[in-house]
Amino acid sequence: MNILNGNISQVQSHEGLSLVRVQSKDVAFSAIVLDTPETSDYLKTGNEVRIIFKETEVMISKDLNPNISIQNKLLCRIESIENGAILSQINLMHDQQAIKSIITRNACEQLDLKENDTVLALIKTNEVSLSAHD
Amino acid sequence: MIQFNAYKMLQTADGELPLDVSLTVEKGQFIAIYGNSGAGKTTILRILAGLTEAENVYIKVGNEVWDDSQKKYHLSVQKRSIGFVFQDFALFPNLTVRENLEFALPKNDVTEIVSELIDLMELQSLQNSKPHQLSGGQKQRVALARAIVRKPELLLLDEPLSALDDEMRFKLQDYILKIHQKYQLTTLMITHSIAEIFKLSDKVVVLDKGKIIKEGTPDTVFAAQKISSKFQLTGEIISIIKSDIVYIVQVSSGNSIIKVVATEDEIKDFKIGQKVLVASKAFNPIIQILS
Repeated sequence: MNILNGNISQVQSHEGLSLVRVQSKDVAFSAIVLDTPETSDYLKTGNEVRIIFKETEVMISKDLNPNISIQNKLLCRIESIENGAILSQINLMHDQQAIKSIITRNACEQLDLKENDTVLALIKTNEVSLSAHD
Repeated sequence: MIQFNAYKMLQTADGELPLDVSLTVEKGQFIAIYGNSGAGKTTILRILAGLTEAENVYIKVGNEVWDDSQKKYHLSVQKRSIGFVFQDFALFPNLTVRENLEFALPKNDVTEIVSELIDLMELQSLQNSKPHQLSGGQKQRVALARAIVRKPELLLLDEPLSALDDEMRFKLQDYILKIHQKYQLTTLMITHSIAEIFKLSDKVVVLDKGKIIKEGTPDTVFAAQKISSKFQLTGEIISIIKSDIVYIVQVSSGNSIIKVVATEDEIKDFKIGQKVLVASKAFNPIIQILS
């Protein structure tokens, strides 16, 4: 799991769905959840939350300014790559924040990913979970 | 309502451990008591039953005080309105099933309840059998029926199903729920099974080293991480297998076994038998109609 800390900066709700913006240092994350401020206490502007997403949901782009629907984009440096037979784990660093991505080894080779490359990590809004701090 | 406050120094393998518990139970509630062995779970039930004394104790059930150590008041076991079932409850070996139930009745009481329980617990065909002719599950069914012959205020169950196989367990859970509801009992049950807690209890009390560390509905206690994901289940890790650069973690939950991909860093904290919450976003699962 990738876990980042942030603070809720905006909540937009409609018919049980909420689009939540969470500021984590310089990155504004967006997450879509099946909660609303009426049903869940944690959905308040300013509240601290953890932003959680799985390694397998992190896409990698070498194009640093893609015209793409994905809302969460983090500029990262590749720290290291671990290759398996089928999968590759890309260990990324955004600022001081470590993020991991697991993609197929084929994809890793097609993009010719190497240590110290600058890439964009992409996470779809509906793959981001939020967890309230206790 | 039941008020229970008790303080007792326990002698454990690791030395002395103070049991210090304060608990309020509403009438009609089904309470699960969960925690490691040696946490003091059984002692709580024994104090409630009047089988074990505590240094400091106050128990009030409805309007009746059962224990008040300050006033040196102690109501004897026989006078407490309780039913008790242990993991290996001993039935009288020389009495039949029906006689075992009748024996638990107060003298001169009508035997109507015995017939009613025999019907309810589906013991008709077994009522003339002796305990040695019964299976483990059948014996526990009789033990349960016997525990409630006197229509107790309080039913105390100490892991009554832990010696049974899954199929028998699920069946007995249904019987327990049935009698709890029909006789409007207040039930306290010690169990190690989270699935059982979710199925049976209104409230769960988690005990650790003699103290209550958490209490609430099973949902709030076991999903305490409060993650926004809507696709959640709790279960136990049954295997962790390396697969390429990731690991496949198998989790058993109720009747199903699911598989989850985890990274090497994550599995460092996982071990077989560990209780876990598995969560996914509501956006991922696909629903297919079964034909």
